[in-house]
Amino acid sequence: MQTIVPPYLLDRIAEAADPRFPLAADAARRALLREPPARVGPLILPDEPDQPSALPDAPSTPDRRISDAQGRETLPGRLVRREGERDTGDEAVDDAYDGLGDTHRLFDRVFGRDSIDGAGMPLEATVHFGRAYDNAFWDGERMVFGDGDGEVFRGFTDSLSVIGHELAHGVTEHTARLRYQGQSGALNEHVSDAFGALVEQYALGQDATAASWLIGEGIFTDEVQGRALRSMLEPGTAYDDDVLGRDPQPAHMRDYIETDQDNGGVHLNSGIPNRAFALAARQIDGFAWESVGRVWYDTLTSGNLDENATFEQFAAETVRQAEHRFGAGSGEAAAIREGWQQVGVPTAE
Amino acid sequence: MDVFVSRSGGLAGLRLTWHVRVDEQPDADDWFLLIEQIPWNEMPPEPAEPDRFTWDIRCEAPQTDGATHPDGATQAAGATQAAAPAPPAAEVQEATLAERQLTGPWRRLVDRVQETAEPQRAAPGSGRT
Ligand SMILES: [Zn+2]
Repeated sequence: MQTIVPPYLLDRIAEAADPRFPLAADAARRALLREPPARVGPLILPDEPDQPSALPDAPSTPDRRISDAQGRETLPGRLVRREGERDTGDEAVDDAYDGLGDTHRLFDRVFGRDSIDGAGMPLEATVHFGRAYDNAFWDGERMVFGDGDGEVFRGFTDSLSVIGHELAHGVTEHTARLRYQGQSGALNEHVSDAFGALVEQYALGQDATAASWLIGEGIFTDEVQGRALRSMLEPGTAYDDDVLGRDPQPAHMRDYIETDQDNGGVHLNSGIPNRAFALAARQIDGFAWESVGRVWYDTLTSGNLDENATFEQFAAETVRQAEHRFGAGSGEAAAIREGWQQVGVPTAE
Repeated sequence: MDVFVSRSGGLAGLRLTWHVRVDEQPDADDWFLLIEQIPWNEMPPEPAEPDRFTWDIRCEAPQTDGATHPDGATQAAGATQAAAPAPPAAEVQEATLAERQLTGPWRRLVDRVQETAEPQRAAPGSGRT
């Protein structure tokens, strides 16, 4: 067992901290902005009238409200930036504002869904939650982001896939309502990772081959031996660090983890459907939001999923939706079936 | 008396644990007073908030010799070790809280534990009992 700097005690023990963890430099912030988009996607015509074109730079009209908890654990905090207002100069506020805009744009332009509820509800976020708070979460009404301890974690608004992940929890709550426990909980987590990754890919104009399939890239400080919180394509490989240990996510049903912790390992077992999703997307290639993204969105909103859905039930519904949207003999349906097969989740037929 | 705190879940799915041996604390009496205020049986289950931390708090008090063996019995039993009853199980009180329930005495206890003990990284998923 190894120790890390206690999240709540940073200032008291700063002098005694592990020399490996000098306070992270404030340089090289948003990893996403370091490189220009690999390419801009072509205009892809909608295949259904209710799903508009998927041009990444087409505007959408979110109603964003960013509040500042000012280091306390009280919600919502002080409202500091409303829709249409200029940059505040506070990086967490402005990153949250921009990230919510990118997330809104994917759901609106690709899936025809205006905001979390599909009816334009305000997107509310609170930043600077708690002191050195190592987390981000969805509380049922808003997305909440901590600043990180600065030693292991940077601020949680530094990753667009994390912002998309949190907002997607709201979408799941308003659609399939997957119960946050066991397999349905791991599916809830998986759906958030999937749409979090798609938000990032859409903003960067990346196809499935160019995409990193990482969740939370840029969340760790430079001192951590790791690329991200999770890898959807290669679960279990996102980090391998002296202090954090090794990424524990399973990539196959045979390694499914039974545990009482973490609502039954929802952040662990999500690796299994995550890999099925990424494998299918890469098999199909092209923009993942156009293929697996549409199928997964159809699955979420089909009304056919039980709140306690198992991996198998969810997989069967994705195959059904892929056949409905792309055709029973389509490459999309075949790739999705094959993706599930490769992670040991059987689908009928 | 031992206090164990475990924080699991969170977006990263990483687990931290803290352990304090109350008897070794210079202010052990304060700890006992604080632990006495904990409303162990008054935490209704809360709907899960995705990615929010879950807190497990456990206090273990080994029963003292005085409480388990009436006067004189300890010495008498010493001669006939095999016939003596097995050591009594520790008295355990435990609760699992959603982070938003971590208020009042719960919050004070967790803050105190975090001020006293270094967190340990525990392997995620290793907490099955
Ligand atoms: Zn989540």
